[in-house]
Amino acid sequence: MQGPYRMKKEKTADKSRPFKLAHQIVSLTGINIQRQSIIGFVELTIVPLRDTLRNIKLNAKQCRIYRVIINDAFEAPFQYFDPFLDICQGDTKQRSLDAFSTAHLAAALQTDPDNNAGELVISIPPEASHLVGEGRALRLGIEFSSEQPQGGVHFVIPNCEGTLSERGAHMFTYGHENSSRLWFPCVDSFAEPCTWRLEFTVDENMTAVSCGDLIEVGYTPDMRRKTYHYLLNTPTSAPNIALAVGPFEIFVDPYMHEVTLFCLPQLMPLLKVSARYMHEAFEFYEETLANRYPYSCYKQVFVDEADQDISAYATMSIVSTNLLHSMAIIDQTYVTRKAMAQAIAEQFFGCFISMQNWSDTWLPKGISTYLSSLYAKKCFGNNEYREWIQTELQEVVRYEEQFGGIVLDPSQAPAPVPSSTASPAAPPRPPDPGFYFPVRNLHTMSPKYLEVLRKKAHLVMRMLEHRIGQELLLQVFNKQLSLASNAVQEKIGSGLWSHMLISTNVFAKAIFTVTGKDMAVFIDQWVRTGGHAKFHLSFVFNRKRYTVELEIRQDATQQRGIRKYVGPLLVTIQELDGTFSHTLQVEGTVAKADITCHSKSRRNKKKKIPLCTGEEVDMDLSAMDADSPVLWLRLDPDMTLLRSTFIEQPDYQWQYQLRHERDVTAQMEAISALERYPTPASRLALTDTIENEQAYYKVRCRAAHCLTKVANAMVANWAGPPAMLAIFRKLFGSFSCPHIVRQNNFTNLQHYFLQKTIPVAMAGLRNTHGICPPEVIRFLLDLFKYNDNSKNRYSDNYYRASLVEALGATVTPVISVVQQGTAITAESVSSDTKLVLEEITRCLNLEKLLPCYKFTVSVACLKAIRKLQKFGHLPSNPSLFRSYAEYGQFIDVRLAALEALVDFTKVDGRWPDMEFLLDLAENDPEPSVRHQLIRMLVENPPFERSHKHRLDKEELVERLWNLINCMLSHDSRLRCNFVDLYYVLYGTRRPLCLPIPELAAILNIKHERHASPMQDKEVKPVLPLIPFVSASSDTEPAHVTSGAKRKVGSPLRETEVLTDDNHLGLVTVEIVAGDEGSKINVKEPSLNGGNLAPASKVRVLESLKEEPGNLSVTAAATPITANPVLPTVVPVTLAGNPVPPILPPGMNLGPPHPEGQVKSEYFSDNSQSLPGILGMPGPVGFEPGMFRAKESDGESGHSKHHRTDSMSKLKKKKKDKKKHKHKHKHRRDHKHGKEKDKDKDKDKRDLSKLKIKEETLSSGSSSPSPSASVSHEFSF
Amino acid sequence: MDGLSSNLRRRPLQVAVAGLLFEVGFDNAEKMAHETLIEMTQSIICQVGLSARSYCELSGRTEPVIGDVIIALVNMGLPLDSIETHAKRSGRTVLPAPVPSTQPKQLSILQAGVKQSHPSHIPIHLPQFPDPHAYIRTPTHKQPVTEYEAIREKSASQKRDTERALTRFVAKTSDTHSLFLTEDTIFPLVACKPHMPPYLKALLPSDQVFEFEDEFSIPSCPTRGGPGPSRKARSDAEGEDDENLEELKENTEEGKGGETDSIDNPYLRPVKQPRKKKPKT
Repeated sequence: MQGPYRMKKEKTADKSRPFKLAHQIVSLTGINIQRQSIIGFVELTIVPLRDTLRNIKLNAKQCRIYRVIINDAFEAPFQYFDPFLDICQGDTKQRSLDAFSTAHLAAALQTDPDNNAGELVISIPPEASHLVGEGRALRLGIEFSSEQPQGGVHFVIPNCEGTLSERGAHMFTYGHENSSRLWFPCVDSFAEPCTWRLEFTVDENMTAVSCGDLIEVGYTPDMRRKTYHYLLNTPTSAPNIALAVGPFEIFVDPYMHEVTLFCLPQLMPLLKVSARYMHEAFEFYEETLANRYPYSCYKQVFVDEADQDISAYATMSIVSTNLLHSMAIIDQTYVTRKAMAQAIAEQFFGCFISMQNWSDTWLPKGISTYLSSLYAKKCFGNNEYREWIQTELQEVVRYEEQFGGIVLDPSQAPAPVPSSTASPAAPPRPPDPGFYFPVRNLHTMSPKYLEVLRKKAHLVMRMLEHRIGQELLLQVFNKQLSLASNAVQEKIGSGLWSHMLISTNVFAKAIFTVTGKDMAVFIDQWVRTGGHAKFHLSFVFNRKRYTVELEIRQDATQQRGIRKYVGPLLVTIQELDGTFSHTLQVEGTVAKADITCHSKSRRNKKKKIPLCTGEEVDMDLSAMDADSPVLWLRLDPDMTLLRSTFIEQPDYQWQYQLRHERDVTAQMEAISALERYPTPASRLALTDTIENEQAYYKVRCRAAHCLTKVANAMVANWAGPPAMLAIFRKLFGSFSCPHIVRQNNFTNLQHYFLQKTIPVAMAGLRNTHGICPPEVIRFLLDLFKYNDNSKNRYSDNYYRASLVEALGATVTPVISVVQQGTAITAESVSSDTKLVLEEITRCLNLEKLLPCYKFTVSVACLKAIRKLQKFGHLPSNPSLFRSYAEYGQFIDVRLAALEALVDFTKVDGRWPDMEFLLDLAENDPEPSVRHQLIRMLVENPPFERSHKHRLDKEELVERLWNLINCMLSHDSRLRCNFVDLYYVLYGTRRPLCLPIPELAAILNIKHERHASPMQDKEVKPVLPLIPFVSASSDTEPAHVTSGAKRKVGSPLRETEVLTDDNHLGLVTVEIVAGDEGSKINVKEPSLNGGNLAPASKVRVLESLKEEPGNLSVTAAATPITANPVLPTVVPVTLAGNPVPPILPPGMNLGPPHPEGQVKSEYFSDNSQSLPGILGMPGPVGFEPGMFRAKESDGESGHSKHHRTDSMSKLKKKKKDKKKHKHKHKHRRDHKHGKEKDKDKDKDKRDLSKLKIKEETLSSGSSSPSPSASVSHEFSF
Repeated sequence: MDGLSSNLRRRPLQVAVAGLLFEVGFDNAEKMAHETLIEMTQSIICQVGLSARSYCELSGRTEPVIGDVIIALVNMGLPLDSIETHAKRSGRTVLPAPVPSTQPKQLSILQAGVKQSHPSHIPIHLPQFPDPHAYIRTPTHKQPVTEYEAIREKSASQKRDTERALTRFVAKTSDTHSLFLTEDTIFPLVACKPHMPPYLKALLPSDQVFEFEDEFSIPSCPTRGGPGPSRKARSDAEGEDDENLEELKENTEEGKGGETDSIDNPYLRPVKQPRKKKPKT
C-alpha cells in the first residue's frame, strides 16, 4: 500500500480508474416503505480514458442486479463478488486478529474504488466494443433492486395505529464513510465527482428529499404517487448522495428561503426553535471564507433512528430528530447548534470539496471541524473554544498512548530528516504504528480511530493556523473554494473537476502559493507522522543568579503513541513583574535553559501584578517563596503542538495559577494538579474559584469536583460543614431560609450549570467511615423535596436528572448486616437506602405519566439503580434493564439500560446475558444502538483479556469471529466495532480459550507432507471445530444458531462464492451472478469472447494490465489462469508492486482445461434468469412473494461451501445435499466428537464420488501451498 | 343541663321535706316515700306559682302581688291561717343556704374577648358593654401562615403527596417491575411500555407546560429570498436589513398568507399533473 504512492507520486485515487464518470442518473421508481424495498435504475455516463477498456468496475452491495445495458442497446455481462462476505476466505483455523487484519485489508482493497476495484465487474461485450473509444462517452444502465437492505438504507416504521404517514414512517440512507454502494451501484469513491440527475417516485403523501435542486414534482399517471426530480449540476462524488423519504413537514427558513427544513409530523414547533440560528452559521461561513455557499440550496432533514447525529451530503444533511428541542431546553441547545453548524461547514469541505484519496480524509474532516469551531467560538465564546480544544487534545493524547500514533495521511512517508540537524538522523519510524486493525482503508479502521482522527485533524488545522496565521489559512480555503467554484462551471472535458478534490499535496501547494511558506516540514511532522510529544518540565530557581533553571525532558519517546519533538517550544513564566514568554529550541530528549528573571522590584511594595492580559491584580503573596519572583510556569500555553505536558511546580504556584491566570486551560490544568495537594490552601483556592463569578462556569464545575477529592483526602482534619454546602446555600438558598433551595430560575446559565454540578460533587464526599455524610444525603433529599420549577422559563429535566445522579453517587458498598445468602427484600434494605430508593422510584414512576424531555430523569434513575445493585443494596437483576432496553423505548433510555446490562454482564453475567447483548448488537433495528452497544462492550468488556472467566468460552470466540468474518458485509463500521471488541477480549493472537491444537500442529505437518489434493480429505476431520477443507464452513456453526436471523439479509442470496482451496486467504473470488432468477447469459459471450474469464482472472488481468512494464500477461494469457486463482496475484493487485505472478514451485498447477468449461462452471447453475431480464424491458415491480421463494434458497446459498463452489461441476442439487451434510456434520462435531470418524468416512465417500470432476477443475488450487507463507508474509 | 338545674332546685326541697319530717318526729324515711313527698311539695308549689301568675296576668299585671298568691291558695283550697302559725312554730329547723357554686364559671366560658369598660360619660350603673365579638369583626378562620419557609414546606409536601398518590395509584393499577427478586409492594415500579414512535414522547415532554410569548418572532425578509446566486453579500446591507426587518415584522403579522406566497421554494410549489408523456423511469 505504501507502494503505489511512494512509487509514483502522481498516482492518485481519481486517476486510478481507466475511465472518468461524467454524469449519473439515479432513478428509484419503486420505493416501498412498507415492504422496505427499492427498485431502481442507474445510468452512468462514463468517458473511457483508453481505447482498450474492456472491464468496468463499479461498487454495489446488497443490490440485486437485473441487467446491465450499454447505450440502451447492448446487454453486458457482469460479475459480482463481495469479499466481505467471507473475509478470511477459508482460512478457518486462525482466529487471530493478526491474520484477520491482513485478510481484512485485502478484502477492503479488493473492492476499493480508489484501487480500481469494485464488487461489480462489467465486461463490455465484443459487439459493443466499437463504442469504446478514448473520450467517447458510454452510457451504462443498470437495473437493480434491493429488498430489506441490512445496511445503507434505514426504514423506520413505527409499529402502531394509523397509516404510514400518520405513524411517521420514513426511510433514509446512511453509511459509514463511502457507503453509497449499499443502495445504488456507483463508483463509490470520494474522488469521482460527476453531475447527477435523481428521480424518486414515492407515495403521494411522502416527500423525497435528496441532493441538488428540486426541479419539479409530478404525479404519476395513476395520481397515487409522486415523482421528485432533482438535478445536481455541481460535480459530486457518489458518497455524498443521499435520500430521505417520509411524510415530512416542511419549513422554509424565514431568513434564507433557499434553506428548507424537514421534520417528522408534530415536531414543527421544535423545528422552528431548533433551527432559528442556522442562518447565522451560513452567514458566518460565507463571511469567514469570503466565499458564497457553494450550492443553490440547503436541506436539512430530521429523521428518527439516525445512525449519527449529523451526516452531511451535497446540499443536504440528514440529522437526528433527537437534536430537536423546545425553547425550554438548555443543554441540548449547545449540542444542536454545534451539530448543525458542523453539518453546514461540511457542505463547504467534505461535500463541495471532496478528497482525492481516502487518505486525505483528514483535510475535509479537519477543515470543516476547524470552521465549525470558529463558529462555536463566535457563538459560545473563547473560553468554551479553548476548553474544547484542550479536551480534544487530551482525548487524542489518551487514545494515542493507548493504541498508537495516528498518522493523518499515511499514503506517503515523511521525507527523511535532513542531515543538517545536529542530532543524528533518527531512523525513520516504522510506518505502521502497530494498530490491531489496518489503518490503510476507511472500512477497516476502528470507528473510534476515525473519531479521534477527526479531532487530531482539527488540532493540526489549528496548529497550521498558528503557523501561518488565521487570515492566510482562510485565504487558502478561499482559494480552494474559488478554484472549485470555477471548475463547477466547466464541463468534464476540461479536466478541471479535479479542482474539486483536495489532497495533502494540493493543500500544501496551495499554502505555498498563498503564503509563500513551505509547510512541507510541518506536513511531514504532523500529518505524515503519527504520535504526539510528551514533555516533562521541572525547574529550580537559582537565588544567586536570579534565574530559573528549566529542564524539559522527553523521556517517553519510545512509548506507544509518543514521539520526539524537535523545534521551538514556548514557555511562559508569570513573574511578579508580569508575564514573560520564552521560546526555547528543544532538540535532545533533555533540554535545559537558564532564564533570567526580570522582576527586580521589591515585593513588599505592594505593587499590583500585571497579568498576560494586561490587567493588574492584587495578590496575596504570603504563600510563595520569599526570594523567588516566579508565580507560575506554563508550557506551550496556546496548544500549538500535539503534546501532553507534565509540569512540576509547588502547590502554591498551582494555586496562584488557578486564582489568577486568565486562561481557562491553565485553570483547568491547575485544578487537575491540585488534586495531588489536599491542603487547606488548595481547598481555599478551589472554594474561591467555585464562588468566583468571574470564572468560566466549566472551571467552577471542575473545581467543585476537584474539591470533592481534596475534601475526601483531607477527611481526617476537615472541620465544619461538608464542602460546598455553604456555597450552595449562599448561591441557591432562599433569602429567608438558606436551607431551602430557591425556586428554580435558570436565567443565569452559569448558575444553572453550577446548580446541576454541586450536588453531584457533594454526593461524592465521604466521611471517615467511607460513606457519604448523612447531612449530605439529607441535603440532597431536601433538594428533591423543595424543587419547584413552577416559575421557571426553562425545563428542569437536566437538573432533576443530576439530582438523581447525585443520589446514585452517594451510594457506597453495602456493609452487610444480613447474613450472606439471604435474599435482599424491600424490608431488609437499610433506612438510608430506603430513602434513596423511594426518591428514585417516585421519579421513575412519574416519568411514565409525565415524561420529561428525552427522559433524562429515567436515564439517571436507571444508572442509579444499577449502582445500587452493584454495591449490593439491591439484588443484581438484569430483567428491569432488559425491559428498558427494548426496541420502542426512547434511545437514550435504551442506551442507559444497555450500559447497565453491559456492566451487569461484566460483574454477574452468565452466558445468556452475553447472548442477549450480542443478539441485540447483531439484530437491533436501530443501527446506532448496535454501534453504541458494542462501543460500551469495548469500553467495559465482559472480562479481562487472559483472565479466567466463565464467559470466556469458545462459543463466544466462534460467534464473534463469525460476525467479523462474514456476517457484517453491509456495515463496515459495525464490523470494525466487533473487531475492537475481539481485540479487547483476546488481543491480536489466537484466543487462549480455544483448544490449542496439537491437532493444528499435526495439521500443519500433514500439510507440508502431503502435496496431493487428497490431503484435504485426510486433514478434514482433524480440526475439531472447523474442518479445514470446508473453506466456508466456518460460517456454519453460526448458521445453525443464527440462520433465522440472517433471513433479513440482502437479496443476494444466491451467492456463488468461489475460492481457491488452498486456504490462502488472500486470494478470493466470489462471483455473484445475480441470483437464481437472474438469467445472465454469460456462457455465450464467454465462449465467444476469449477474454471473458472468471472473475478472478478478470481482476487479475485488469490489475496486471496496469503494470504493463512488469508483466506481459494479456487477455490472451487467460488460459494460464485456468487455475482459478493465482495466490501471488493479489499482492500485485493490492500494492501495484512489481511482484511477478510467478507461481510458487510447490504449486501444483492443474491440467489446463478449456476456458469455456471453466466459465460454464462459474455461471451455469446459478446465473439463472432474473425476473424481467429476458425479454422484458426492466423490472416490473414487486409482486408479493417475488423474493420469498428465493430467500430460502438464498439462505442456503449463502452458507454455501467455498469448496463446493469451486467444484461447481456438481449439479446444484448435489451441492445442496452436500452442504446439508456438512451442516449435520458440524452439529455433530460440536456435540458428539466421537462420530467424527464416521463423518470423515462419509465425507471421504462424498469426495471420492466427485473426485474426477474435482481433479479437472481445481486440482491446482487444492494443492498444498508453500506459497501460503509467501502471501501471508506480504506486508503492506 | 335540665337534670343538673332540677337537681339544684330539688336539693333545697329535699332538705326542707326532710326537715319537716324530722320535726314531725320521723327519724328515717324511705327513699321512695321521701321522693314522693318532695314531688308532692314541688307540684303544690308549682301549682301555686302557676295559678298566681295566671291571676296576675288576668288582672293585667306582669308581676304577681300577694293577693294573687292568696287567691291562688284559696282557689286550691289551702287554709291561709295556718301558714302564719306554721311559720312561727317553735323548734323549726333552719335550712342551710344553698351554695351557688358553678355560676361564675359559666360566665368565663362565654366570655369572648375582653369587655370594654365604660367610657367616662356613661354612668357605671348602666349595663356593661357586651362581649367585643358582638360589635367588632372577628375572623372566624385561622390567619394563613405567611412565613416563606412554611409555605415552601407546605407546597413541597403537597406536591409530593399528590405525586406519590398518583404514582402509587398507577403502580397498583398497572403492571409493575420489581427491584427485588420477589414481588415488592413498597417500591413498585410502573412497568415501561414501548410507545411508538418513541421520539414523540421524548421530544414533546409533558412534565411541564411552558407558555412562550413570541420571544422570537421570525421576521421574514422577502428581499432576501430567492436562490443563492441572487443573494447579496450579507455584510454590506446589514444595517439596512435590520431596519427593514423591524418594519416587516408588523407586516408579517397582519398578512401571513401573502407572505408565504412570496417565498419561492420548490417544496412549496404545487405538484404537477401527470404529463401525457410518461416520465421515463
